[in-house]
Amino acid sequence: MSIGYTSRKEKTIIANHINFGLKKGELGAIVGINGIGKSTLLRTLGRVQPKLSGSILINNTPIEALKSDALATLVSVVLTEPIASKNLTVLQLVSLGRHPYTNWIGTLSADDQSKILKAIKILELEHLQHNKCYELSDGQLQKVMIARALAQDTEIILLDEPTTHLDLYHKVHILKLLQRIAHETKKVVLYTTHEIDLAIQLCDKMFVIKRDNNNFGAPCELIESKSFEDLFPKDTITFNPESGSFKINK
Amino acid sequence: MQRSNTYLFPFLLLFLVLLFCFVLNLSLGSVAIPFNDTLTSILGGQIENESWQYIIWNYRIPKAFTAILVGSGLSLSGLLMQTLFRNPLAGPFVLGISSGASLGAALLIMGSTLFSQWFIFEVINDVSLAIASSIGSFLVLLAVIAVATRVKDTMALLIIGLMFGSITAALVSVLSYFTDADKLQQYIFWAFGSVGNLSGFQLALLSVFIFIGIILSIISVKSLNALLLGENYARSLGVHLKKTRFIIIIATGLLAGAVTAFAGPIAFIGLAVPHLTRQIFNTTDHKILVPAVLAYGAILLLLCDLIAQLPSSSYVLPLNAITSVVGAPVVIWLLVRKKKMIF
Amino acid sequence: MTKLDYKQFWKCDFCYLAQEFMDSYAIKYIGLLCLLLAFVSCKKKNQNSLPETLKKDLATINYAKGFSIEKLTSGITIIKVYSPWPDADEAFNYALVPKELLTQAKLNKNDFDAIISVPVERIIATSTTHIPALENLDVLDKLIGFPETRYISSVATRKKIDKGKIIDLGNNESINTEIALNLNPDLVMGFSINNQNKAYETLQRSNIPIVYNGDWTEETPLGKAEWIKFFAPFFGLEEKAENLFKTTEENYLAAKALAKKATNKPTVLSGALYKDVWYLPGGKSWAASFINDANADYLWRNTNATGSLSLSVESVLAKAADASFWVSPSQFISYYELDKASRHYHRFKAYKEKKIYTFANTKGETGGLLFYELGPARPDLILKDLIYIFHPELLPEHELFFFKPLL
Repeated sequence: MSIGYTSRKEKTIIANHINFGLKKGELGAIVGINGIGKSTLLRTLGRVQPKLSGSILINNTPIEALKSDALATLVSVVLTEPIASKNLTVLQLVSLGRHPYTNWIGTLSADDQSKILKAIKILELEHLQHNKCYELSDGQLQKVMIARALAQDTEIILLDEPTTHLDLYHKVHILKLLQRIAHETKKVVLYTTHEIDLAIQLCDKMFVIKRDNNNFGAPCELIESKSFEDLFPKDTITFNPESGSFKINK
Repeated sequence: MQRSNTYLFPFLLLFLVLLFCFVLNLSLGSVAIPFNDTLTSILGGQIENESWQYIIWNYRIPKAFTAILVGSGLSLSGLLMQTLFRNPLAGPFVLGISSGASLGAALLIMGSTLFSQWFIFEVINDVSLAIASSIGSFLVLLAVIAVATRVKDTMALLIIGLMFGSITAALVSVLSYFTDADKLQQYIFWAFGSVGNLSGFQLALLSVFIFIGIILSIISVKSLNALLLGENYARSLGVHLKKTRFIIIIATGLLAGAVTAFAGPIAFIGLAVPHLTRQIFNTTDHKILVPAVLAYGAILLLLCDLIAQLPSSSYVLPLNAITSVVGAPVVIWLLVRKKKMIF
Repeated sequence: MTKLDYKQFWKCDFCYLAQEFMDSYAIKYIGLLCLLLAFVSCKKKNQNSLPETLKKDLATINYAKGFSIEKLTSGITIIKVYSPWPDADEAFNYALVPKELLTQAKLNKNDFDAIISVPVERIIATSTTHIPALENLDVLDKLIGFPETRYISSVATRKKIDKGKIIDLGNNESINTEIALNLNPDLVMGFSINNQNKAYETLQRSNIPIVYNGDWTEETPLGKAEWIKFFAPFFGLEEKAENLFKTTEENYLAAKALAKKATNKPTVLSGALYKDVWYLPGGKSWAASFINDANADYLWRNTNATGSLSLSVESVLAKAADASFWVSPSQFISYYELDKASRHYHRFKAYKEKKIYTFANTKGETGGLLFYELGPARPDLILKDLIYIFHPELLPEHELFFFKPLL
């Protein structure tokens, strides 16, 4: 299955000529400098914001044609905005991910419960599952939100800056987890990030948003086509194609 | 979500407390009726003093039922508003909904010389008062919603709600200025809030409105739970935001509007009870909260009414005074314990 | 079949029987007697089966416009109240049925707003204006409850309140339903501004009759006083009421005639400022009538208002700065208070010459104003007070009753 996109803007046009697609089992990252529109793009893909023009296709179906319930079983999101109520327990929050599958009053079936517990296990939250969310650190809360998206069991998971509050170890840990989820369960996982180095190392595909043109492809292709060179001002930061990382100019 | 089995005991306890408060409310009042007689009368027996029989059946029992309906209706509408607006300080009174209903009622009572040719008989009066109040509360609610979609900051929303309350209060002031002293006094007494003296028909009408409100809320339980994460997350979970908002607004308008129409504007119950319930039951699951809030609201109002009746005295305190004295400290306490105020 | 036919039908029947009796001469007289009896009882039967609109006696009410009393020969009294409150759409019909006739009387419940069995033994009154009527008719012991008893000034009534014979019922707008129910009254003499008093409705549902008293809507002095006749049928004291009113009427008219003999006609001001609006009685109001009847020139007597007028202080100054007398300056009781309230008052001649009179200083033991309570029932005293104030030479021995000089 694939998500494909032709072009996308926001209220005031933020970016043009966006054209890329992802297949099942791929981990993709959207990168770019601050304010270029990474979050906007991701949110538009998740139908959190309306798009301005072009088409978004999931399995060749336009996203607008899908009803909310259907879309909820296909796409789950993890956003940067804080949740409205932190008075839920971790377990309750993750259980909300099963919302599209439960009956009218939200009773959880055995299947629902097993998926919830599995998600909690994958994110290593068992010891925290009965704690209230306001008791967690930012990093732990972030993991809980990912668990919730996982419990939603959708083919596509979109994450907006999922690693912001985490230390390096956990950053890598989460990204490797996402990679594993994508590859093993054949889901499409797409996230936005500032950590281009890590993305280069772990992702199958990357989408680089720049002012005038955007680049899409596997990391190695992008390195070859020198897509990362002109991302940042050259006098401060240069890109080293061999190590696939950025270096500070002293 | 926790299994409802673990809540069985608390609910049973809650129900028993409700029953106890109901009987207590029936046994205390301006006229001192011995408890044994009250009990005999409620259980269908005949007591010697006919006036007492009258009082219990024609005054206290309807009043107690009204109190239950009013308490539960207001609390539920408060719960709905707090979740809908994601704001712990939302409530029918604070957000000006009750003021809107008061404006509707004021137009009817004090502007009645304008409308008097449209009213033929009393039945229409009752229904029209209920409708006028409901319309008033709906309008303010819609105005608040319209603003809420543009305002992200929760504090700003509250202030806007208070401003709407002020606007409606100002309109009522203008009406009061031009009306006769007697009509004004009548309006003021209505504004004190009271659950007594509803006829059988009015009580039935109130029950219908509250019942519809409760049904609509139960339908929305799942969406309400999803809304705890925020609108964007709720949408991504497949919640039909527009439909849900619409149903919740109708439910809130009906609940707050009907209650205000028949009992006058009652302060703070809608705001305080959901918080108290959340603290005591320690959950945010609306499947548990909706029935719990109904029960707590009923209990609280039965007790407030009991106090307002000032047992063994001719004078009856305004119900609003009692609910404010109870409710305002709750709100202050919530604000002080800000950390735990997350709802 | 018209009513007349029906009666003739019965008559014919008995006449026919009578004929047969007549044939035997011996029992002719007995027959005649029986016939007479039969005819009479026949008529009575007719009376009971026929609608009650025949044979009624309308009480003479000359001044009051708010009510009418009809006495039917069956003994039932019908009272109609036309103005329970201003702009009332419909009149209220009340049927007063003597206790003995309660079971027999065939009254259609739907025709009447209340059916009251008389004489009433336990009554709740709701306005201080009801107290003088009850007291003068000497049925004060039947009064068992009253809202906000502290407003009552009457000494006799206060005694009963202190003894606990009259129970306080809270505020009239939200009368204490429980206590009212517990008192088990035969009648509630109600006062309301419209049809929406929830407490009254509860009492009505408990089969306690409510009768609306509209004495406060009357606009003439004798009209208001004539409402004593409204109370009378409830206690079977119609004659006493007639006599009492007649005395009051005669006193009033005599005073009025006396006033006409005055040689001058002083100008009169009334009312006072509240915030920056001057409220005073309209030209056709109850209060203004007294000034006119006392042969004084109320400066706003040419206005048509029956209630009060709201005027600016300039217009009042322009018209009345030189008024000789100032009567009823709202709630003020002393020159000191007037002075504190506004310096505009200094400009009035009546203020400077200390010719201000008020009833606000005449209070009952608990602060109720006697004027509002007793005034409507004793217009003759009000008039005499005013005549004494405006033309002291006409009533040299009068002692002021309601109106006293401002302190």
